[in-house]
Amino acid sequence: MTTPLTLVASERPDGTPVLAVTGEIDMSNAGTLDAALARSAGDGSLVVDLSAVDYLDSAGLTVLFSHAPRIRLVANPLLAPVLTISGLTEVTEVEGIAPDGTAPR
Amino acid sequence: MTRCDGAERGPAGGEAEVFAVDDEVGPDLAAVDWRATPLGPPAGWPQSLRTAVSILLSSRFPMWMAWGPQLTFFCNAAYRRDTLGRKYPWALGRPAGEVWAEIWDDIGPRIDAVLATGKATWDEGLLLFLERAGYPEETYHTFSYSPLRDDAGAVVGMLCVVSEDTERVIGERRMATLRDLGSDPSVVRTEQEMLAFACRQLGGNPHDLPFTLTYLFDGDDRARLAGATGIPAGHPAAPAVLPFGDTGGAWPAAELARGESALVALDGAPFTGLPSGAWAEPPAQALVVPLLQQGSAPYGFLVAGLNRYRPLDDGYRAFIELAAGHVATGVASARSYQAQQRRAEELAELDRAKTVFFSNISHEFRTPLTLIMGPVQELRGRLQEADPQVREELEVVHRNALRLGKLVNTLLDFSRIEAGRMQARYEPVDLAAVTTELASVFRSAMDRAGLAFEVDCPPLAEPVYIDRSMWEKVVLNLLSNALKFTFDGSVGVRLRTEDGHAVVTVADTGIGVPTGELPRLFERFHRIESARSRSNEGSGIGLALVKELVGLHGGTITADSVEGEGTTFTIRLPFGSAHLPADSLIPAGSAEAVSATADPFVEETLRWIPGDGADAGRAVTPDVPAAAHPAAPGGGAPPRVLIADDNADMRDYLARLLRQTYRVTVVDDGQAALEAARADPPDMVVSDVMMPRLDGLQLVAALRADPRTASVPVLLLSARAGQEASIEGLEAGADDYLVKPFSAAELLARVRANVELARMRNHHTRWRNAMIESLQEAFFATDENGAVVEINSAFTDILGYGPEGLPYTPLHPWWPDEREDPQAHAMVAAAFSQLVSEGRGSCVIPVTHRDGHQVWIAVTFNDVTDPDTGRRRVVGTVRDVTAEHYLVQRESALAALSMRVSRADNVTDALSGALEALQEVWRARRVTAALWNGGASPELVCAPAGGGWQDLPEQVREKLSALREQPPLRPVADRADGAGVTLEHPQGLLTLWIDLGQNRPFTTEDQTLLALLAGHLGQGLNRAHQLDQQREAAVALQRAILGPSRLPDGFAVRYEPATRPLEVGGDWYDIVPLAGERIGIVVGDCVGRGLEAAAVMGQLRSACRALLLQEAGPAQVLGALDRFAALVPGARCTTVFCGVLDTATGDLVYSSAGHPPGILAHPDGTTQLLEGGRSTPLAVRPDHSRPEARCTMPARSTLLLYTDGLVERRRRPLTAGIDQASAAVQDGRAAPIEDLATHVMARLAPDGGFNDDVALLLYRQPAPLEVAFPAESSQLAPVRTALRDWLSRCELNPSLIQNVLVAAGEACANAIEHGHRHSPGRTIRLRAVATAGDLHLTVADTGRWKPPQPEANPHRGRGVALMRALMHEVTIEPGASGTTVDMHARITR
Repeated sequence: MTTPLTLVASERPDGTPVLAVTGEIDMSNAGTLDAALARSAGDGSLVVDLSAVDYLDSAGLTVLFSHAPRIRLVANPLLAPVLTISGLTEVTEVEGIAPDGTAPR
Repeated sequence: MTRCDGAERGPAGGEAEVFAVDDEVGPDLAAVDWRATPLGPPAGWPQSLRTAVSILLSSRFPMWMAWGPQLTFFCNAAYRRDTLGRKYPWALGRPAGEVWAEIWDDIGPRIDAVLATGKATWDEGLLLFLERAGYPEETYHTFSYSPLRDDAGAVVGMLCVVSEDTERVIGERRMATLRDLGSDPSVVRTEQEMLAFACRQLGGNPHDLPFTLTYLFDGDDRARLAGATGIPAGHPAAPAVLPFGDTGGAWPAAELARGESALVALDGAPFTGLPSGAWAEPPAQALVVPLLQQGSAPYGFLVAGLNRYRPLDDGYRAFIELAAGHVATGVASARSYQAQQRRAEELAELDRAKTVFFSNISHEFRTPLTLIMGPVQELRGRLQEADPQVREELEVVHRNALRLGKLVNTLLDFSRIEAGRMQARYEPVDLAAVTTELASVFRSAMDRAGLAFEVDCPPLAEPVYIDRSMWEKVVLNLLSNALKFTFDGSVGVRLRTEDGHAVVTVADTGIGVPTGELPRLFERFHRIESARSRSNEGSGIGLALVKELVGLHGGTITADSVEGEGTTFTIRLPFGSAHLPADSLIPAGSAEAVSATADPFVEETLRWIPGDGADAGRAVTPDVPAAAHPAAPGGGAPPRVLIADDNADMRDYLARLLRQTYRVTVVDDGQAALEAARADPPDMVVSDVMMPRLDGLQLVAALRADPRTASVPVLLLSARAGQEASIEGLEAGADDYLVKPFSAAELLARVRANVELARMRNHHTRWRNAMIESLQEAFFATDENGAVVEINSAFTDILGYGPEGLPYTPLHPWWPDEREDPQAHAMVAAAFSQLVSEGRGSCVIPVTHRDGHQVWIAVTFNDVTDPDTGRRRVVGTVRDVTAEHYLVQRESALAALSMRVSRADNVTDALSGALEALQEVWRARRVTAALWNGGASPELVCAPAGGGWQDLPEQVREKLSALREQPPLRPVADRADGAGVTLEHPQGLLTLWIDLGQNRPFTTEDQTLLALLAGHLGQGLNRAHQLDQQREAAVALQRAILGPSRLPDGFAVRYEPATRPLEVGGDWYDIVPLAGERIGIVVGDCVGRGLEAAAVMGQLRSACRALLLQEAGPAQVLGALDRFAALVPGARCTTVFCGVLDTATGDLVYSSAGHPPGILAHPDGTTQLLEGGRSTPLAVRPDHSRPEARCTMPARSTLLLYTDGLVERRRRPLTAGIDQASAAVQDGRAAPIEDLATHVMARLAPDGGFNDDVALLLYRQPAPLEVAFPAESSQLAPVRTALRDWLSRCELNPSLIQNVLVAAGEACANAIEHGHRHSPGRTIRLRAVATAGDLHLTVADTGRWKPPQPEANPHRGRGVALMRALMHEVTIEPGASGTTVDMHARITR
């Protein structure tokens, strides 16, 4: 059994493909996300909307890193520390978080 | 200085510029009228002259120069100061020949030479008579003249650079004279020689001392000329005698005799034609100084003619005074040497006179002696059959006539030797045979004296020349001397050949000679004072004669001695006859064999030795009573007379006379007399004055000093006639004095008178003594120094010391030995110091009986004044309290031990308390007990505490082991250092060792006491053991009926029984899990203590638990308990706090039955008391409804419930204890809950432990989260949910929650992925605990992580990095049984 994860592909009005993710991403379902990202592979950039993700760990980060060159992220403040600490914000454009993030130290 | 104003100031304008270099001489040079000189005005001077002047003026070294045809004079400031004197400034600009006219003869030619040759001159220390001070002055100069050239190079002048040496040259000259005066290396000579020497030295300096005269005062107010230098004899200025009164005399002698100096002008009559010394003109003045003598008038005076070319300055005056000092010192030592010489000569003369006197007088004795000896010999033959007493008296006459004859002959020998009239006849003899024969004469005397007599004289290879009669005297004198001073051991005579000499040694093992006396041993009439000997007879002439006789043989005699070990005389005689006068030699065998000389020696010697071999010195001849004692006046026993005389004849004579009337005791010296008198005071002492060991005067003094013998009358007998001798005797305290010879009647009359007088006088004394003797208590009296001078027989009974040893001076013999028993010694010392300083008091002290055992005595003393002497005395009584002392000691020791043992809670405390008591009783260094309970090594208890069996010294371990073989309660004392005992301990055999530390005896009484105490200790230990067992049972019961043994998470509890034995009580706590997440919590306290209270508590606790399980609310529960408690005896008034806590929300509903309020510590540091819901203790108002209160525990707050034992203290309000408890909980709010419980108990425990039992319950909201899940990734989401839920209960902010979730998630993912990759499904545990300010998470698996390999597993490396970034502290501990990740996060607001 894997942790529930909802993946909805859509398009923005300008035609940019969007993958909206809902739920928690951990090692049990990171593979699902990876597959979905691979599927929606196109030439252009893909917006991955994580604003409804409550939890993201290093397994999910690894998937995002592997697709980094061609995705853009939409995140929520809860995810900011993880994205910032991991360095993902440096290789991918992230919308929806403050630039300084919120790190505990 | 600037040049421009110099030009304006100068009298000749710019002309003076050349002189401006110097402002001292410069202005004066400028003032010279140069136009009048050949040089003309300075403006016209050539450059060479200007340069020369400039150099001159600017130099600090003395210089002058001359320039031009007239040699015009210039000089600088230094020259002016040192040399020119009064000639300045007159000399400036004048011709040099005019300036130095008086020395031109000396310097003119030198200057001419410089001008002519252009070469410089050099003179060192040249004497020049300068007239710079108004008179021709002796001066010395070192200088150089160098040429000065004009602009064309021609020599036109000269420059002189000079330094004056006058001080140096004259100083050296004077120093040389003083040195010579003090340099006389010879020993002190006569005054005349000394003066001649001094005059030679003074005359050697005619410069400073053109002439001198030395006068000495001769005691008739005259001065006599004793020495002169530089002045011919008979000159009117040097009269041979100067009377003081003659004011017209050449020198003021009277003034000098008073020690004053005088300066005399040498003009007028006596002083014409005086010698001039080294100078052209005679002195104009003379300084006359006294020859000072320390502390007395001067010896004389010294006249010193003064060098007229030098001023009389301090240096000159000091020189003359020092010279006079040397002369005075010489006179002093010469005179003292002369005085010594004279004394020595006088002494020698005296010695000669003495010998002459003795020889004359001895000669006079010979005739009467001969006339005595002849008839006596006749009588001895004729009266063979006469009355024994007549014969005995005749023998006395005979012996003493022999002795006198010998003495006279010795003295005559002496005077013959002295006068060189000794007619020696030297014949060659077999020295071995002669000496052996002579020695054999002494054989029987030596035997009788009990001395070994070893004669070892093997024949020599060649004969020795001796005068037989002289040799006899030598050997006999030495042997009689040896016997006289040897009391035991041996006397030996040896003959050997050594280095061409015959060597005879006479060695004894006698008293020896003190080192200081050895050099005077052979001096005539010299006797060693106070030497112990067999007889005090002797003239001190024997050894002196021996030395002279040996000397006549060309031999030597030496003595070696060690005091107390013996003396050896060694005679060395040369072989052959070359050293002897030829006309004194006779052929062998011409002289007779052993002559009659030997008789007196042996006779005399035998008289020193008591008959029948009894030891002489101290033997007390027992009473020699006559056939019947005449009755004493008054009907008592006849009076006792003690006779002391070292001469046996005199002793016998006196005894014979006095025996008719008195009981007589005879002794042969003063010491023996003193001992006899002290042991048993006689009625009268008759004593000779001259005696060995202690003479008569010393005996009197000693008798008078001792109160027991102070009143015994003493009659002294002496051969010394004259008023002075008898006064000396009477002053010493003798009652009467009789000069030898005396008549029998006179002696008897004197003795009778003294005895009767003393008897009357002593009547009251004897009465007093009888009183003291009859006292039951011991009595003593001391003098002001604390010496015991009187005791009675009871004193002797208690301490063993009798009157014979009196006086007993401190430290008294009964003082305990300081090393063996320092404490006892100190006690006695303290008592003694009180006796001496305060004179009154009483004390109980331990003393040592004469036989060595310890006696405790009670001493009471007071000071009194002796009515006879007015001196302070202390009298006291002594009681033997040994038995009482030990009784008291036993009882107090027993009480101390019992108290220690009864106070103890358990066997261990009882034992260590008992050991401390034992340590105190004996003031022991250490008391050690070993319990042999079957372990590998015994269990050890010590006082003072500390150390184990292995730390003990080997010796003590052995002692403790050996004691096991000993029957119980049978002490073993070790003389050296302590005692041990064995006793039964509940757990085995106990051996115990008391280490006394110092060498203190462990007496029989101590052993009895130890046995007693050990018995009590054994019983005490058994009692304590029984109590121990009961208590253990009670505590076990208490713990059994207390709350659950497994607590829900988040709780901590404590129960502590009170400290006294068996003090378990009625306190309890309980925690009851209810439905949902609710938990019932109870803390209660039953009234009373002990097992009964514990039983009540058990019932109430069970009832309470049952009620809670029925879902009753706290108020309901307590209401029901009210009714229940009313039915249970002893349950009434129990206080209870009962609450129901919802752990999910922290809501607490509670009610209190008279219980102290719970304490709630908030995470922000504030505290809150749960004071609501309060009502009365149980069963006080059974039908009353109980209130309930509510509160919510905020996240991370801590609840403390407790019983009053935690906070209640005597003399302190309960609120103070509650505040203290609040503070303790608050301080520990960041600590884990278990640690907090320990912390609170420790912080609130009083010093001696809790004196009431204590129950305590702690809970922190929320309870820790504990999740165990299989190692599968699907578990991650539910675990996360549980953790998220728990974290929100902790009321943390969302970002911290997210951080913790991710970090924990990573740790769990790692555990799943790595720890259990090959064995999925194994359990992983996550635990989370919150304190007030900290979160603590642990994730533990049972696998082993791989070391991080970021390249292979980039995202796993990322996981660990995330954990570290998100938490404050992360440790990953791989272990054998799994890996634990430990993470902390600080909680921020």
